[in-house]
Amino acid sequence: MQLKRVLTLRTVVATSAGLTMASSSFVAAVMVANYVLGDTAWIAILIGGALCFLAAACFSELNGLLPTAAGIRLYFSRAFNEQVALTVSLLYMLVVVVGVVGVESYILSKVLNEAFPAIPSYAWIVVMLMLVTGMNLRGIKIAGVFQDVITYSLIVFLVLIGLFALGKVGFKLDAPFSPGGAVGIINAVAVGVFLFVGFEWVTPLVEEVTQVKQISKGMMIALGILSVVYAIFTVAMTAVVPKEVLIASPAPQLVFARAVLGDFGASLMIIIILATSLKTFNAGIISVSRFMYASAREHVLPAVFSKISMRYFTPWVAIITLFFIGLVASGLTLLTNQYLVLVGLAAAMSSIVYAMVGLAVISLRRRMPEQVRPYLIKGGYLVPILTVFIFTLLAVAVLSADLSALLYMSIAFVATLVYVNTVVPRLKKKYETRKPAARRRPARATKEVEGK
Amino acid sequence: MATHLEITESLKTFTDNYSKNERLKIMNRDWDRVVLIKATDIESIHTLTLKDGVLSLNEGASGAPDLTVVSDSETLADVFYGDINPTEPYNNGTLRVMGSEDDITRLDFIILMIWGE
Repeated sequence: MQLKRVLTLRTVVATSAGLTMASSSFVAAVMVANYVLGDTAWIAILIGGALCFLAAACFSELNGLLPTAAGIRLYFSRAFNEQVALTVSLLYMLVVVVGVVGVESYILSKVLNEAFPAIPSYAWIVVMLMLVTGMNLRGIKIAGVFQDVITYSLIVFLVLIGLFALGKVGFKLDAPFSPGGAVGIINAVAVGVFLFVGFEWVTPLVEEVTQVKQISKGMMIALGILSVVYAIFTVAMTAVVPKEVLIASPAPQLVFARAVLGDFGASLMIIIILATSLKTFNAGIISVSRFMYASAREHVLPAVFSKISMRYFTPWVAIITLFFIGLVASGLTLLTNQYLVLVGLAAAMSSIVYAMVGLAVISLRRRMPEQVRPYLIKGGYLVPILTVFIFTLLAVAVLSADLSALLYMSIAFVATLVYVNTVVPRLKKKYETRKPAARRRPARATKEVEGK
Repeated sequence: MATHLEITESLKTFTDNYSKNERLKIMNRDWDRVVLIKATDIESIHTLTLKDGVLSLNEGASGAPDLTVVSDSETLADVFYGDINPTEPYNNGTLRVMGSEDDITRLDFIILMIWGE
């Protein structure tokens, strides 16, 4: 039966693109440009986008096969086993949350500190996190239509300012197909993947659309739009401002806007950075707090995280915990200035997950061959195998180029593995001992069931 | 396999426990929703309607739902009797809930408040 409220393709595209576009995306865009020669960043960005199409195809097949908001948690559990699913899901949440919150808050604090130098950077982070935490505790969400407006406005603005800047400097591609050595291109593409991180977080919406294929279509359209927008904007940034100036700034988009439109451009960009970061923080806290709540409900995290506000129906313990995690992550980033490591970390983690999604498609085609697939990738095993191979290569490239990222990733992986193997069994055992011995369902009915 | 009657009884127990909880009724005064519950292995459809904080149960489908809960009869009966936690069958794909993420979470909150962990 048709649900009362269903999402449109417009909202699916906006959600996929919106979850991807963060203020930190532009830092990654400049890193991409820095790995390649001249003004050829667009090549790496378009390749990165095209590779994400492969991953999107794999996500689409899995999403059609197992339509659920649980996402990779269920895909990996069916394709591999429960332990792998749990370890990867927890690690993915941990790395992406710390990475995105760390970089995003760092950029935001630097930008606002530049606009209002009298107020210290960290104060801005505290205020911003308190605002978003307050909104989440009260259950206030940025309305779907407003979210659509922010995302589409941002896309239009980036394209317009990019084209305007290119026209202003009379831009011509000098050596359009000479991006430099293979290592530089591989690293550029690997970091370029960070530009698209989050496009797949739209798959939980499968339970709110009329047709599963809408999610696949929405993801593909979003990736296409983002590839073009990022390519134009990045080439424009490097055409107007020297790369060494951009790479030295935590907010290259602000430097660029000032260079093109003066103080007016800078003011406009500050507003956009604020809106983008607010949207990213808000969406992040909503998703992760719900993930923590659901994990506590299945006794994977301590039960305290399933506590609910009696007034607003929100998982308040999870939200407040995230507030403190955010404070620590952003404080450490501000203290060490190592925000670029976090970009590499998030890019590597996403590549690992995308490679595993390719493996999951292969595994599930063998384990569930008869199951109906509303979306089946054409070309047999070619796309999933390419996905596994390419994203493994990209993850290795990022981690070998940045040893700090490799170190942090290894520590996070070992910690998650130890947690899953020691703490989770204890939590489950504790729950089993607390569970009422007698079932509420009448005994007669239970006997009948057992007899069948 | 549970019977249609068992699912009906589980939903009645769920509705009765909800109705005894005055706090829950106040909390849900502004959450008017229609929830369709459908079994996959037997002919069994029920509708839970929440209006002004009051929960009522009907057999069969009535109107367009905000949420649709679909699973095998055993899981449905166990979930609404509070014998199992819905998160586990949801995460392993046995239980499907269609609707907005907020509504799905709210329904789980209600189950948690009625049956505890």
